[in-house]
Amino acid sequence: MSGTSAVIEFAGVNLSFSGKKVIDDLSLVINSGDKVVISGKSGCGKSSLLSLVLGFVKPDSGKVVFSGVAVDGKTAWKVRREIALIDQDVSLGSGSVESFLEFVSELKVNAHLDFSPHKLMKFFHLQGILHKNLKDLSGGERQRLAIVVSVLLNRKVFFLDEVTSSLDANLKNKVADYFLGRQDWTCVVVSHDPVWLESPSVRVFDFEEKVWKH
Amino acid sequence: METLDIPLVNLAVAFLLLLIPVGISIKYGLKLIKPLFVSIVRMTIQLALIGVFLKYLFQWNNAFVNIGWLLVMIVVAVFSSVKSSSIKISSIFLPAFLSFSFATLTVVFFLNVFVVPVSSVFDARYLIVLGGMLLGNSLRGNIVGISTFYRQLKMDSNHYLYVLSLGATEKEALMPYLRESVQLALRPTLASMATMGIVTLPGMMTGVILGGASPEVAIKYQILIMIGIVTSTIASVVLTIILTKRVCVDRYGVLRSDVFRKETPSRRKKL
Repeated sequence: MSGTSAVIEFAGVNLSFSGKKVIDDLSLVINSGDKVVISGKSGCGKSSLLSLVLGFVKPDSGKVVFSGVAVDGKTAWKVRREIALIDQDVSLGSGSVESFLEFVSELKVNAHLDFSPHKLMKFFHLQGILHKNLKDLSGGERQRLAIVVSVLLNRKVFFLDEVTSSLDANLKNKVADYFLGRQDWTCVVVSHDPVWLESPSVRVFDFEEKVWKH
Repeated sequence: METLDIPLVNLAVAFLLLLIPVGISIKYGLKLIKPLFVSIVRMTIQLALIGVFLKYLFQWNNAFVNIGWLLVMIVVAVFSSVKSSSIKISSIFLPAFLSFSFATLTVVFFLNVFVVPVSSVFDARYLIVLGGMLLGNSLRGNIVGISTFYRQLKMDSNHYLYVLSLGATEKEALMPYLRESVQLALRPTLASMATMGIVTLPGMMTGVILGGASPEVAIKYQILIMIGIVTSTIASVVLTIILTKRVCVDRYGVLRSDVFRKETPSRRKKL
């Protein structure tokens, strides 16, 4: 894999939800190793960019390409296995943290992984939560748990949707540094937090104006 | 031992009992008189018609007519269980019908061939009565199971999509919802089985005993019908979910929104 090959490509993509246009003729390329922040008002549909690549929504027209393969009903399943997603609501489900980790590690696709979370959990200040219920975790704890899982999946592309919104300044920096510091990772971050937007290593895409800001 | 017939006049006297609920409703303003009246009238008319109908059905005792009537019962059962879910009937009628038919017919024929020593497996008395018992009793389970599955999947869609993003296969992602729906669907049946004979004296037994059989015979029928109900409920819920899923979940593994009924009639697009 060369450092500048296109990982994600939107070509003339249009998308609307129940008659309301969310994406209008968008063309955009994200290269391998890029750190891209998507900015824009909340509720303007930034997350739908991520959903399009994952095949959770289908464009009205245009093409979404991942690693050279157009995303469709057949390829979406493979594409999902290449991307680690943390969604805005951190929808980890219910049950204990331990059983959640077990569920993730027992998925067929993850069977080959060395799924030992302890070191990372310590790194992100998550000791002692294994037996807690997911519903009893604070927003920040759930975000960090989702981050730990996303890293354990051992994938190269990360979709991070508002993953630092509930963290304190210290942890925000820690998380941003962690993801932005890895050259081989491609990160698409949806956020309006300066910790991402003002980092020198990111490119910012203004979702409303459809332009690169820097 | 013959069952005592009830003269029609005496049956009319039974209706006098309804003065009690009517009185209570008036006193406490329960507004139950109208729905009560409607339901009583419907029940009486429907049963009167079915009484006449069954009389002829038993007289003719024609295998094709019997099977045909069983299928009509299945269609009605499918409608009631699909109606109470938020899915459009047109989208899932066929898969639900196939599942119900398969589950009911398999159990009924198994019982009629291997368990009850009937001379003809198509005998109206056993085919229709047993089939009706199975359908009626697995109906509630089916309603709970099918509507729970799609309601949970829709409500929980963020988590479901997250699980897909983890790389789960469709089966892996849907399995927790299937499991939960079937468990919920079976809970009432399992509970009533566990207290049967002590808390509940089931309709089947009452009918058989009133029909002149000894309690020993009634109990045997009750046991086989309960086994049949559990079997056909599990089979029909699981089959219905598996078959309707092919319609309701698209190739991307995403729940299709167009299979759901519109909650409010939104027909005011640019007129």
